[in-house]
Amino acid sequence: MTTNLGIDNAMYGAVALNDTTRAAVATTTLSPRFYTTDFAAMDAMSVEPVRAEWDALIAELASDLNRKHFTRDKGLGWDLDIEGLSPALRAEFLDFLVSSLTAEFSGCVLYAEMKKRGKNPDLQALFKYMSRDEARHAGFINDCLRDFGVQVDMGFLVKAKKYTYFSPKFILYATYLSEKIGYARYITIFRHLEAHPERRFHPIFKWFEEWCNDEYRHGEALALLMRADPGLLSGLNLLWVRFFQVAVFSTMFLRDHRRPEMHAALGLEPEAYGMAVFRITSEISKQVFPLLVDVEAPAFLEGLRAMQRLDVELTAARAGGGAANWARARLIQARMAKAFVSLLLLPAKKNPLPASTRLAPSW
Amino acid sequence: MVHVSHRFEELSAHVELLDGVEVGPGDSVLVHGARIDVPFGEVRVERRRATVVHAGWLERAWTRLTGDLDCLSLLEIELNEGNAS
Repeated sequence: MTTNLGIDNAMYGAVALNDTTRAAVATTTLSPRFYTTDFAAMDAMSVEPVRAEWDALIAELASDLNRKHFTRDKGLGWDLDIEGLSPALRAEFLDFLVSSLTAEFSGCVLYAEMKKRGKNPDLQALFKYMSRDEARHAGFINDCLRDFGVQVDMGFLVKAKKYTYFSPKFILYATYLSEKIGYARYITIFRHLEAHPERRFHPIFKWFEEWCNDEYRHGEALALLMRADPGLLSGLNLLWVRFFQVAVFSTMFLRDHRRPEMHAALGLEPEAYGMAVFRITSEISKQVFPLLVDVEAPAFLEGLRAMQRLDVELTAARAGGGAANWARARLIQARMAKAFVSLLLLPAKKNPLPASTRLAPSW
Repeated sequence: MVHVSHRFEELSAHVELLDGVEVGPGDSVLVHGARIDVPFGEVRVERRRATVVHAGWLERAWTRLTGDLDCLSLLEIELNEGNAS
């Protein structure tokens, strides 16, 4: 859920280190953002309208199905070959691990904060389990970074932390979509590698199948919370529903295109992969959103392509430096904002909500 | 109270204010003392002094107003450079 984590010391050429001698040759600074929200409004949320589905889901989270999943010796085979990775692939893959780690870590901090500060026992139970899962995922990714000799730096703990504000409904829209798109991303990669095992360049992908069910379950809970309060899914809030779908989809599209080596190694084409993920996410979100971005509309993909082309120009302008490039970057950003708004304004599809919210992860 | 877990099974870090001080929008929290470097495989819980600087009403109102816009950088949308540094 937060940003700004980069490998400080770009020693990607780290050799494979065995478990006892895995010394850090590079560090990556964790700098999460800290959020506060309207805890009174959170406490006032009631799950009574969806009580039966809610209790079943909390029981599932409590049973902790993935408790034993995140270990290396669970029979999946940890066949890591760092030497086999080209430097460019290694750099992109590390960047991928680091941004995944940040997302998990920040989710953990945000959910723990909501558990701590909230007083609503239903929500506290949920956030406790969500925080547990994210911390576990972060630990697993952290260990993969250690294979490469990259160590996380938690210096932020003793730096002044400024708390910014994020309203409860935005937390729901944004986290729901990020959990569900996280599921769709992981399951799409996993299924692809099932069919093309020779493309699996790192063992972590073998863990994705059960891993993504954690994200899926979190998303289910957030869907129930929104369904319990129809006000969140009607009127002006529908604009936000659309906004977050477009924001999440376009963000993923741009970021994946910035990792060409990794996608080439996996044998995935970022555009086709993105569209497959958007279709799954959109299909899942029929459980909760009365208005869906039409991912099949040709104009949708064209809009994303336009943003992506501008993103390439923007990267070039920023790399160039100097006043002229600074001005150019501003101009490109304005054009990107315009392209984003055009995506927002595309006709959306009405979606009559199903009586029951819960949906099985069948992808 | 600072709680850090740097283990295979869990990577997490939390700061808990023990005397019931509530942190609101725009406030800032500083934990005093040396860097906390927890070696791999360990959990550390430390009691530290912390200073909470409460935001004035204006800053609080401003943070409440603009915080939600921050969700753009949260999603790492490159429409603004808010997350560039």
